[in-house]
Amino acid sequence: MGTITALGLILLICMVAVGGTQGLQAWISLIFNFSALFFAMVLMAFHLPPVLVTLVTGVIVLAMTIFLGGNDSSSTMVAFYASVAVLILLVILIIPVEHWSQIQGFGQEDSEDLEGMSTILGISYLNVAISTAILSTLGAIAEAAIAIAAGLAEILEQHPKITLKNLQGAGFKVGSQIIGTTFNTLFFGFFGGFLALFIWFAGVHYSPGEILNDKILVGEVLMVLFSMMAVIATIPLTTWAMVASERQARKRFLK
Amino acid sequence: MINEANKPHSFWQRWWPYVVVILGALLVLGVAHDDGLYQTPILKIQSVKTISSDKQTDQFNNEDRQVEQELHGVITNGPNKGKNLKIENTYLKSGATTLGYHTGQKVFLTVHHHQGHLSATISNLKRDTALAFTVWLTISLLLILMRFSGLMALCSVVVNGVLFWLAVSWNTHTQGGIVLLIFGGLAIVFAALTLLIVIGFNRQMLMTLLATIGGTALSIIVALIVFALTHERGVYYESMQYVTQLPRPLFLAETILGSLGAVMDESTDIIASLMALKTEKPDISAKQIFKSGRQIGGEIMGPLVNVLFFIFVAETLPLALLFLKNANSWGYTFNMTMSLGVVQSLISGIGIVLTIPLACGITSLMIGGHKSWGRLRH
Repeated sequence: MGTITALGLILLICMVAVGGTQGLQAWISLIFNFSALFFAMVLMAFHLPPVLVTLVTGVIVLAMTIFLGGNDSSSTMVAFYASVAVLILLVILIIPVEHWSQIQGFGQEDSEDLEGMSTILGISYLNVAISTAILSTLGAIAEAAIAIAAGLAEILEQHPKITLKNLQGAGFKVGSQIIGTTFNTLFFGFFGGFLALFIWFAGVHYSPGEILNDKILVGEVLMVLFSMMAVIATIPLTTWAMVASERQARKRFLK
Repeated sequence: MINEANKPHSFWQRWWPYVVVILGALLVLGVAHDDGLYQTPILKIQSVKTISSDKQTDQFNNEDRQVEQELHGVITNGPNKGKNLKIENTYLKSGATTLGYHTGQKVFLTVHHHQGHLSATISNLKRDTALAFTVWLTISLLLILMRFSGLMALCSVVVNGVLFWLAVSWNTHTQGGIVLLIFGGLAIVFAALTLLIVIGFNRQMLMTLLATIGGTALSIIVALIVFALTHERGVYYESMQYVTQLPRPLFLAETILGSLGAVMDESTDIIASLMALKTEKPDISAKQIFKSGRQIGGEIMGPLVNVLFFIFVAETLPLALLFLKNANSWGYTFNMTMSLGVVQSLISGIGIVLTIPLACGITSLMIGGHKSWGRLRH
């Protein structure tokens, strides 16, 4: 048995042992997300526009992660709408920043990997960089949206008569509780993965100026920042979506 | 949201995020004009002329356009400041390794003096302004929307960033010989410091720290056992990027750090919710605490595993596409570009799941109904 299969099976067993049906759903969503990512990559290799492929994949992935992750159907709907809104805002931000910073493709640190490879590709790597940045934030968006929506749904359950203004305040309060730890999830997730690059910088004695203008480092830091902004934006957007859906529900109740 | 108008110093309390935002904006403006700080000569491109644009094909029938351009610009720093220069640049439209330039961009130069004649080639694009702008935008959003909790989140990231860099330098001094020891040990320091900033020093923080360290350690132990049993089949260390030292311990160090944040996130969530539950229902039994903890954990583990999965695997996309366009099979492409990211996601996932019973167990032992634990309380 290969290592990946073995680890995957152990993860399945652990998830089901701890979470039951929900654990199984979590595992399925992981497998699904991998397939979606791989499929998106193959479509890009067949010259479909990368950003368009990414947007469609992004919405599907958000739906799968949120609907397979959450329990309560009304709060998961809100989380889904809010996360799609965040995704759209993020794309509007990512496209100009990537055009400005020009971090697409490979840097001089990658030359070993590129040896013997043809770089005549016919795919715009600027668009691939935009796609990569969008894809890397999807998990963070989904997680934050679920956390805020679930937290608010619980508050609504315990205090069904809470005013909408207080509900909004509660949303920001839940947000302030998750922001510190979520930032660290993102920080360690990205920087842990790029430990080797930092060791390279230190070993070859890059100057601060070289590091701050390095294609790969700037690209990497931008991805962390996009994810962080996605989480920050998710807090008010999910809260407002929740308040709006509650307002509608109450109006319907009055009629 | 919070009424601060009645308190003294309310002006400062209310407006400090905006002051920071304005100061930051000035700083970004400064970075846009920091050419004098660089030793390397910088050229500001003033006009671009396309000389030729030809179709290129390779042996895999990929098609691209090769563009030749002539850049005119002026040097903005150093002894040659103010001198005009003409540079030729050739790039492929796809832009995987080469770059096309346009008017207004600033580039770093390698200058050659040839019999009193000045010529130069471009070594890199100046990207610091774009970076500074995005950092500024993130911090501004964070402080305006989240205020004090945003500031704390920022502090913990900055502290961890500094520590991270110190650890990297230490690793270089020891030639990478004890990389696992350095980053394993530092993971504990990272976790302790972050939790101190986020929670503050109390029993809850110690419990969270214990669960975080335990969960991360468990995932690595499980991974090592699986590696030994499967003889690491399908783990291609040679596909690791930027490797300057022994890859296997480096990979494990990357995995520990990568999953640390998520495991910490999760144990913080579970233990904080359980503590709140205990305050609400003081006579709740240890068993009930364990059960509710498991339910909370079950809800958050799926999304958390996916956060790390997208971080680890999405960034392999550019290289994977390059492999596919070089007529490699899907399987080979996966092995050489994505497999390590997937292994990392799976190990982190196992850590995230195993942390749940650990965090619940620690909490129910510490605050559960047992009288014998009572004297350990404050």
